[in-house]
Amino acid sequence: MSAPAISSSSASTAVLANKFLVTGLIGLALTALGLFFANPQALALSYLVGVTYWTTVGIGMLLLVQIHHIVDAGWSTVIRRQFEHGISAFYWLPVLFLPLVICAWMKPGLIWPWMDLAHEIHGGHTVGADPLYIKKSGFLNLHMFTYMTVGFFAVWAWLAFRLRKASFSQDSDGDVKWTFMNRKTAAFGIPLTALALSFAAIYWMKSLEYHWFSTMYGVWFFANCMRAGMAFGVMITYWLYTRGDYKGIFNTNQLHCLTALAFAFVVFWAYVTFSQYFLIWNANVPEETFWYNIREHGDWLWVGMVLLFGHFFVPFLSWLRYRNKAELKPALLVSIWIALIILIDLCYNILPALKNEHDEPLPFISMNLFWVLTSVIGVGGICVWAYLKSFPTTKIIPIRDPRIVESLTHHEATAP
Amino acid sequence: MKQTYGLVAAFDTTADLYHACEKVRDAGFSQWDAITSFPIHGLDAAMGVRRSHVPRFSLIGGLTGFCTGMSMIWWTGAYEYPLIVGGKPYFSPMFAFPISYELTILFTAFATIIGMFIVNKLPMHYHPVMKAPQFVRASDDRFYIVIEANDPKFNPAQTRALLQQIGGKDIAELEQ
Repeated sequence: MSAPAISSSSASTAVLANKFLVTGLIGLALTALGLFFANPQALALSYLVGVTYWTTVGIGMLLLVQIHHIVDAGWSTVIRRQFEHGISAFYWLPVLFLPLVICAWMKPGLIWPWMDLAHEIHGGHTVGADPLYIKKSGFLNLHMFTYMTVGFFAVWAWLAFRLRKASFSQDSDGDVKWTFMNRKTAAFGIPLTALALSFAAIYWMKSLEYHWFSTMYGVWFFANCMRAGMAFGVMITYWLYTRGDYKGIFNTNQLHCLTALAFAFVVFWAYVTFSQYFLIWNANVPEETFWYNIREHGDWLWVGMVLLFGHFFVPFLSWLRYRNKAELKPALLVSIWIALIILIDLCYNILPALKNEHDEPLPFISMNLFWVLTSVIGVGGICVWAYLKSFPTTKIIPIRDPRIVESLTHHEATAP
Repeated sequence: MKQTYGLVAAFDTTADLYHACEKVRDAGFSQWDAITSFPIHGLDAAMGVRRSHVPRFSLIGGLTGFCTGMSMIWWTGAYEYPLIVGGKPYFSPMFAFPISYELTILFTAFATIIGMFIVNKLPMHYHPVMKAPQFVRASDDRFYIVIEANDPKFNPAQTRALLQQIGGKDIAELEQ
């Protein structure tokens, strides 16, 4: 009875995977076409937004799997398998990031100004003569950037490989040793992931304005990673539930736990982002405030407002209500909204590095958004394809995980 | 003159109690309760208990806290004793935010605790079920359903018959 259903769903998954692959390749091809039309710096920064966005989603899923293992969680066992498929994107993201590294070597200073020592900065000096650069030059140089970026992806891909292998092996032999292996992986994997994501945020985004510094920056990126991972978790849940795969597996209580955790990270993001702004605002030191001054120029002020209200107040107020957390439709709508706003948050952090001749940022609403779109679709198509390609290779849930029964019967004390 | 508080019936297993609750719920009673020594998963649904009203107290508390924080900083810094500190404006939501945020949490916590007391009618030092001698087993090996006499559906003979029919044992009348 169930055999034809399984094969038809895996066939439809394969068709879907191919669609995403084609969409991704079209997106990447369109982005590549930009090499002939667009301002190269705008194109490169737009592509940086695209790659960083999907890396954010991947890191979020990687952390969710590891947090599940380190705290020996019960309820999240059913959803964990989907995150394990999601992190297969880390086998492809290094390839997708490669154009940026090549660009950094071929045209130093195009994306990250500190890579070009002859790059002229405000006031007529060059980067090479800038004391603020010289002090940081051991950290901010092309070689370090390259090694570190290779290191970040190596850490993430290696952890993804270990976590996936142990979990998938358990499906076939049911050995509890895989659970212990994953717990150990998580124990050293979480600090490694945290370090890699913080340094990635510093190298890829913060160093676009290398004079600026904020100790909150890594934490801000972490908050977005977690939010992105869970937003896509809810979307996957919705997809699997409406398609029928999750019928009788996923219940209101697991969804409520997932959205409640996502809700907590709405507040966490706001806390971190506000702290960064508030401390800089309060201290009022020009070396720090300039970063926000740039972002109050032109339409960037409104982008900031969209972030304040859209990234915090909208999801916060809608998820205060129990129904919006425990029912799939509203949970999905809020999650899609969050996923979109994270993209705007990354644009807010990356794109103002694009300046005109008066050192003012180019407006947000511009042709660059088209290149952001093609990059996000291009990289996203490949990442979703990687997820869908991994999806049919295992059972829908880790059926021999020691915690699976606990997860399937997960119940909170309140009636829906 | 002794007044009747209601009827109590005992059950031996959680499954018996669970199904009995479903039947009492379907019979349309509203003033009744199940008494167990530990939480039974799904019993809320079997009893037809709706979600608690405590979150409404929490929301009101939170909004009050936020507004208190904002208006307090405005009142002290910009109205009652205007003073320039650190070259900042008299009032800005920026520096009022940490206080407002703390007060949101504080007032939400207070409102939640107070709301929980109000909704549960606490403190309650006496409850008629305590008078029933067999009731000591509620904290040991038995589960109880109590249907109150002030329920509009309550009828001494019919309710007793219902409790018998759904498997209730040692059915007794409780004094007020």
